[in-house]
Amino acid sequence: MPQTRLFRTSSFRLAAIYLALFTVSVLILGAVVYAVVHTQIAAEIDQDVEGESATLLKEYAAHGRDRLQGLIATRGGSFAYGLVDSSGKLIAGEVAAPTAAAGWTYLREPESDEPDGESTVDVRALVTRLDDGGALVVADEWRGARGPIHALLSAFAWALAATLVLGAIGGLLLSSQALRRIEAMRSAAQGIVAGDWRRRIPETGADDELDHLARTFNLMFDRIESLLEAHKAVGAAIAHDLRRPLTRMAQRLETQLGREASRPETAAALEAAIADIHAVLATFNAILRIGQIESGARRAGFRGVDLAVVARDIVEAFQPAAEEEGKSLIAELDAALPLSGDRELLTQMVANVVDNALRHTPSGTQIVVASARRGVGGRLTVSDNGPGAPEAERQRIFERFYRLDAARSTPGDGLGLSVVAAIAELHGMAYVAEDNAPGLRIVFDLRN
Amino acid sequence: MKILIIEDDEDGAAFLASGIAERGHEADVARNGRDGLVMATGAQRYDVVIVDRLLPELDGLSLVKAMRAAGSATPALFLTSLSGIDARVEGLEAGGDDYLVKPFAFTELMARVTALARRPTLGAEPTVLVVGDLEMDLIRRTVKRGGQPIDLQPREFQLLEFLMRSEGRVATRSMLLEKVWSFHFDPQTNIVETHISRLRAKVDRGQATPLIHTLRGAGYTLRASN
Repeated sequence: MPQTRLFRTSSFRLAAIYLALFTVSVLILGAVVYAVVHTQIAAEIDQDVEGESATLLKEYAAHGRDRLQGLIATRGGSFAYGLVDSSGKLIAGEVAAPTAAAGWTYLREPESDEPDGESTVDVRALVTRLDDGGALVVADEWRGARGPIHALLSAFAWALAATLVLGAIGGLLLSSQALRRIEAMRSAAQGIVAGDWRRRIPETGADDELDHLARTFNLMFDRIESLLEAHKAVGAAIAHDLRRPLTRMAQRLETQLGREASRPETAAALEAAIADIHAVLATFNAILRIGQIESGARRAGFRGVDLAVVARDIVEAFQPAAEEEGKSLIAELDAALPLSGDRELLTQMVANVVDNALRHTPSGTQIVVASARRGVGGRLTVSDNGPGAPEAERQRIFERFYRLDAARSTPGDGLGLSVVAAIAELHGMAYVAEDNAPGLRIVFDLRN
Repeated sequence: MKILIIEDDEDGAAFLASGIAERGHEADVARNGRDGLVMATGAQRYDVVIVDRLLPELDGLSLVKAMRAAGSATPALFLTSLSGIDARVEGLEAGGDDYLVKPFAFTELMARVTALARRPTLGAEPTVLVVGDLEMDLIRRTVKRGGQPIDLQPREFQLLEFLMRSEGRVATRSMLLEKVWSFHFDPQTNIVETHISRLRAKVDRGQATPLIHTLRGAGYTLRASN
């Protein structure tokens, strides 16, 4: 199944849309969680820093600046401190606060563990102005927040990646499965269009929407098939039932004809009537014959036949008649066309096509019957350079009783090419009428 | 000729019997298969038996099979309303000698019946056919008229051979299509007519007495004199 078709399927598109929506929601969720966690961690740090700051300020209020200076120098723990005098000079600790600043601030300080001064660390600092004009800075590393937030972000990144991969795979699987079933429907429908009325859409047994659709289509095909059969049966039944009375009528007229030798006018009228009845009966026989051929019963007697040899015999038989009408009938039948078939029917098939070409072309026309090998199969073409058939009507010439407007005045029952179509179908041949530019070309493709 | 008609349809049988009688032959009628078999294998010798395929009591195919089993070699012609493609093959396999699909022109039936009645008995197959001054050597595949060789295409040779073998009898269009071309259908194109006219040009042109004659509405015949 072609790649591009897979990506164009509706189920794949649907999967892609869901995937995009899911990705967006994962991103939003990530942002919200990040904001909440970030705020929470900041609040905890602030609370710790505020507590430490309050403890130190209490000491300052009770014992003064020197006490504070001593405490800062000796106090351990995770906090960093800074004590500046009114001139802004750092007199204790390591965090120099901006002189004018008061309240919360973020500062970037050199990493205390690595004295090279290269790396820095973000700290959250609370600056409190002292009543002597100095300021106390209590800071805590923001590092405490970095770990969990980092872990959180990477977890979300992995989740997102997994979502994308699984979603893409799931979408492909889903759509390729749907596509396979639709492909099965399409090929079944195409088989039916090609004339295989027995074809049906396979059901998977999943009892899902596609199965329901397949069942509905199959019911529709059953109905069309039964209507078609009834349609054919009506034609055959009429032809069959009318044959007997018409035969008797012809026999009575013929008996009477024998007694009318002395009256030539009556005899001529009787002869004409008999000829008309025989023409009607010939048409009925052709309808019944098409029905017989279509029933496929003749397949049992199939033998090896070379269609090129059959065609050569036909050309030889029709050549004098063609020449008499000022047309040339040419055989280009060097390539053998072996197939399993019914010689008698194949003879009639080629004869009817050549007959058709001879009857519907003017004097001077050239008709070529040619064979060619095509891969494992072969091709037989009967082409003429006569007036041809309009494109819209070209394929309809195989229909029963169909006659081109231009052909209505020529004798014929409009069944010759229907017999051809029935015989070609019986032999599994593809047949088509093409533009020979100018003229008509009828092509038979053997599927061996 | 004495002909046995085995046909259950009253009108059909009457039509056949009266047509045969009008042409100066005798006809007996059997109305079902069992009676037909008794008559066909009885004391009365018939030249040809005309058998309908669909008969009460005993169908046509079984009847002819039984006839052959009883040692009767009387030529049998099947009539069938089955425009069956298989009908002919089945008929021939059952021991029938020819078949005709209803409806048919009476001249067609008579031409076929006559051909069957005068069929040469089994024996030495002739190697040379002679009609008047026309000679056909079946071994060398050569044809001469008045000692002058005539050059014929293979199909023309077959056509002439068939006409010579049925000298003096009618060969209808469809008989020729079947026997010479193996066409069991009737093309719209005048295949037979054009081939006959070519053959005529080779055989009869410049000759005082034509041998190939057209019988209007019936077919062709080859004979030495009128």
